[in-house]
Amino acid sequence: MSGEPFDAMKWLKKTKAWKSIFRHDFSDTPRTRLLRVFGNVFLHLQPVRVAKDAIRVSYTWGLGGLSFYLFLVLTVSGILLMFYYRPTSALAYQDMKDLSFAVTLGSFLRNIHRWAAHLMVVVVILHMVRVFLTGAYKPPREYNWVVGVFLLVMTLFLSYTGYLLPWDQLALWAVTVGAQMAANSPILGNEGPFRLPFITTANDARFGLIGGTVIGDATLIRFYVLHCIAVPFLFSIFLCVHLWRVRKDSFSKQTGEKVDVWPHLVSREFLAALLATVILFVWSVVMAAPLEAEANLNVTPNPSKAPWYFLGLQELLVYFDPWIAGVVLPTVIIIGLIVIPYVDVNPKGVGYWAKMKWKRAGIIPVWYPEERPFAVSIFMLGVLMWFVLIFIGTFCRGPNWDWYWPWEEWSHRRMTKMTLKNIPNLWGGLLLAAYFALGTPLPQQTKERITARLGPRGPARLFAALHVGLGLVMAAALFVPLLIAPDADYPLRSRYTTIFEALGRSRNAPIVQAMYHAVHAAGPAAGYALIAGFILAVGGLLGWAGMAFGRLKEKMYGELGPIKYAIVIGLLLMMFGVLGKVVLRLLFGIKYLFSLPTFNFNI
Amino acid sequence: MEMDAAPEAQSTPAQLAPPPPTPAKPDRWSLLEERFGRRQFLLKTGWGCFWVFLGGWLLSNLRYLFPNVLYEAKLSFKAGRPEDYPLGLSEKWKKTQRVWIIRGPEGFYAFWARCTHLGCTPNWFDAEGRFKCPCHGSNFNKNGDVIAGPAPKPLWRCALALADDGQIVIDKGRLENRPGSREAGEFFLPYKEQA
Repeated sequence: MSGEPFDAMKWLKKTKAWKSIFRHDFSDTPRTRLLRVFGNVFLHLQPVRVAKDAIRVSYTWGLGGLSFYLFLVLTVSGILLMFYYRPTSALAYQDMKDLSFAVTLGSFLRNIHRWAAHLMVVVVILHMVRVFLTGAYKPPREYNWVVGVFLLVMTLFLSYTGYLLPWDQLALWAVTVGAQMAANSPILGNEGPFRLPFITTANDARFGLIGGTVIGDATLIRFYVLHCIAVPFLFSIFLCVHLWRVRKDSFSKQTGEKVDVWPHLVSREFLAALLATVILFVWSVVMAAPLEAEANLNVTPNPSKAPWYFLGLQELLVYFDPWIAGVVLPTVIIIGLIVIPYVDVNPKGVGYWAKMKWKRAGIIPVWYPEERPFAVSIFMLGVLMWFVLIFIGTFCRGPNWDWYWPWEEWSHRRMTKMTLKNIPNLWGGLLLAAYFALGTPLPQQTKERITARLGPRGPARLFAALHVGLGLVMAAALFVPLLIAPDADYPLRSRYTTIFEALGRSRNAPIVQAMYHAVHAAGPAAGYALIAGFILAVGGLLGWAGMAFGRLKEKMYGELGPIKYAIVIGLLLMMFGVLGKVVLRLLFGIKYLFSLPTFNFNI
Repeated sequence: MEMDAAPEAQSTPAQLAPPPPTPAKPDRWSLLEERFGRRQFLLKTGWGCFWVFLGGWLLSNLRYLFPNVLYEAKLSFKAGRPEDYPLGLSEKWKKTQRVWIIRGPEGFYAFWARCTHLGCTPNWFDAEGRFKCPCHGSNFNKNGDVIAGPAPKPLWRCALALADDGQIVIDKGRLENRPGSREAGEFFLPYKEQA
């Protein structure tokens, strides 16, 4: 033995056991920096070196990594919760109470699981918005965007299935509504349009989802398995592909010198996870996850609200039949998201945030995305619409799902005034057809042919006539039936009071009330004049909008070609159509534009 | 492979001499043989069997998810004697059976307390004479017809009859909501108080 004192650590590091586990030393040399990453199965998910600008916090905000971290937090807290939870209707709620009041740290774990789920939904959505705004979905990363969309859908489905498990009122009624949407799916749902002849409540899509004709034990075990095993299993597979493709498709940002991932990226990830953990801890200590009264299949809380991220959907269900709002629109939204990278042919804007610039449109200053004006505006408008619907559902809906302004006090005794009516099918069909005809393009060939026949200004004139014509047709199809439709249930007066009732309810609309009184005093003639005025004004406005939109259409058709153009314009018109139907419902009290009750087919 | 090599071999002499006449077309039968012959037939049949088996297997699991026997509550119940009900709407059975019983001057009818929109339980507002649904704001009048909100159909009425012991039996398994049919037959129980 030499004079040196015995160093246990030094000795340990020389043992065979240590060396078999840690293949390299941990001194901070360039070599070990690399070895740390590719010598470790968990870290080797990442490259060894990465461009400096790609890992700037202000480029990605770490949103993808945070989603992954929250998924891990949810997995671990979920596994722990499973030790105390029994998925049967007799025991589930009792176990929730136990977790909340009798189990050490039970309520904390439940809180963390609930809040992490909410946070994950937010972070995943923000991650998608970030990827969109930095153009990171463009070739060669199209497929990974698609995988990401599936991951988003699964995140929401995990939230939905997890929602039933506490077996409280909130859970039960959110799931009742969700399951009933399945019963409204076309063809396969018992109450959906064009259902197959052999479909009943005992074999339709809803039955498959909830495992019976009413929500009960079968539903609970089904959702339990989906929530704890089946969906996380699928999610993990998609997650592997997603992370793998991030590496294989190369990063969207390649500028800046290359730096070592250890420590530059790993430290950032560590800090981000730490920050998320702190937020979750504080949140879970300060706020308890809600637990309402035990589920009662016969009594619905009033109002009954879904979790916030589904409130947009719940609000849509007010304006559309369940098969549209619950099945068609979500499907179209998902398909719309999936096709984005395949229809976006603009190669600009990859690897940096959309460049915004102040510009004048007429006299109005607008904040304008310079390189990708169409893509960025439309995508952000869609996201905004979704969150406006969520806002309405959260803050503007009270008892009986009546409209209350956020500052208004709720009253269970308030009278509901609004009465709804349908537009006759012929007029409604005309309105819908004219609306979707607004998407008609003017290909170059047709343009040349028209020029040959009508002179150089022919195409422009024809196009203007088309749009103004369609606008007038739509306005007429909307207002004429309000005036003359043989709708015996509604005397003339009520036909045009609907709009005033809807508007007049907000107390700060004296002009509307004055108009209402004027019509009252002057008799039906004033009403007819008003409706004629509406036709001209709305028709003109729609026509003008169509013409402004016409230039854009021409450009888009030239760039996209017929197929991509049809997809884009179809999705676009549907998006604005949703907005239009909401306006028709809120202002004019119109329920259906087109209705075939025998087939459960209502639009 | 052979097909790839053939044109290459021809391209060199083509610069020197006029191009030779196009090579004789391969025998039609051998082409057919290549495409639809025994080899292809066996290969395609084999893979076909594989995919059909795989698809069938997966689809059979879908069928597995639809149970054949359900252990659910009975859909009919006895709601007491008709004379126990005063004129008007009774909420007596709403919490336990999800049914409203309405007694009019001519007799009884019963609603299944389930919104035809997405299955929530509406509430009865006596002052307005309306059922209002708390989930999406559908309103129904006393006949069950939709007067506001998104519900596509009138409320369902249950079949009802008098049992041997003089009680009203209500069956939620037999439902009707079409005007005309719903006020007649088994969906309406004529009853007038004996003076």
